[in-house]
Amino acid sequence: MQITLRVNGEERTLDVTPYTRLLDLIREDLGLTGVKEGCGKGECGACTVIMNGELTASCLVPAPQADGAEILTIEGLAADGKLDPIQESFIEAGAVQCGFCIPGMVLAGKRLLDENPNPNEEDVRYGLSGNICRCTGYAKIIDAVMMAADKLKVEGSVNNGE
Amino acid sequence: MKKSPMKLESSQTISGVDFENYFQPGSLKEALEIKAEYGRDITIAAGTTDLFVAYYERLHTIKNWLDLSKIDELKYIKFSEKNVKIGAMTTHLALKESEELKGKFPVLQAAAADVGSPQIRSRGTIGGNIATSSPSGDLLTPLLSYQARFKLETAGKSRWAAAEEFFTGPKQNIMGPKEILTEIEVPLPKNDSSGYWIKIGRRKALVISTLNFSLVLEFNKEKISRAGLAMGSAAPTPVRLKKIEEMLVGKSLDELDHRKLGEEVKKQIAPIDDVRGTKEYREDVAFETMINALEDIESRRG
Repeated sequence: MQITLRVNGEERTLDVTPYTRLLDLIREDLGLTGVKEGCGKGECGACTVIMNGELTASCLVPAPQADGAEILTIEGLAADGKLDPIQESFIEAGAVQCGFCIPGMVLAGKRLLDENPNPNEEDVRYGLSGNICRCTGYAKIIDAVMMAADKLKVEGSVNNGE
Repeated sequence: MKKSPMKLESSQTISGVDFENYFQPGSLKEALEIKAEYGRDITIAAGTTDLFVAYYERLHTIKNWLDLSKIDELKYIKFSEKNVKIGAMTTHLALKESEELKGKFPVLQAAAADVGSPQIRSRGTIGGNIATSSPSGDLLTPLLSYQARFKLETAGKSRWAAAEEFFTGPKQNIMGPKEILTEIEVPLPKNDSSGYWIKIGRRKALVISTLNFSLVLEFNKEKISRAGLAMGSAAPTPVRLKKIEEMLVGKSLDELDHRKLGEEVKKQIAPIDDVRGTKEYREDVAFETMINALEDIESRRG
């Protein structure tokens, strides 16, 4: 069967089976390997994408359910080659160790800040609770999200001043 | 413009021989007709957060699929004077975020906020949680406490089942081969009410409950006029503890012997040893949780 979906703004039509996982479709068919497979059972968050605006474990989505969906992966976050503030913050905070969980962490952080631009630490922990870091580098990951929130506030005030 | 990092051609080889039919109806009517034809030979896909775990690495063994995800008429939260009606395909996230549920069904909403993780709540549905009928399903205990009922439909017919009559064993329920769970109806508390919810697990997120507990008390002039007490992962099914409810009704909070009620809870449940905890641990936690719940409600009501 065929499905049509938009990935990082590009519309694509693909042949799939019901048991093609969205994860495999993105990695194998589209070659976007920023999406990782960790546990394959929705417990680790490495395969996180933003699907129709919500955090989604792509290992638990049958491809036909993504028909008509809007998908954002880590590759689609930087606009015109410029990193998103949350990506910059992860670099500046030194939040990346082995890096395997980071695409999911960054997207979870972005989704949280889209909804709540002024999170406290508890909000950040709840927002990232679906993502596991086996290097256990949580402290700096949380710092990075808080830092991104501050960056966005400054950017916002600059834009408002224009 | 930057070149897209995406592959231009699909490289995947589609075998396409391992499944027979995949149905993605846009209406409930069509879904019921398909279910009537295939009965138990078709697998229902809702949010697939349980299905894809249960069938990990053997998804190809599912022959016939009935995907309910495109049926928008099953996604709603509607209030009337006496109750709230929730469409079976409503997600945990929608329950958690609903402004209307806030204040009216705090225990159900707290449970929805504790399911899995953000990635699971955005996909998993209330209907899927009920139909999967896990003894640890987090929404099931609040639904028992609030005395919800479930609408089971076949093509041309429907019936209602009380939550406490629905679950018959681990991952087993009374649903017939041609039935689809379509709606959940929860009566609004008649008097002012207070509730308590807790999920006990080894972590705060992404965990199957070692035990979950929900208590809803309705008050009439500070006397308990109705009690709904239920626990999950404490027996082969989520259970409503009616005997304890009877011990609560008619009393005011300061007349209750918390320790005695905790002991009674311990007697009424039938937990097992498993990877998430021992029988003894679960009994001890159930005892403490009952006491904590009553103390918490008492302190909040002042």
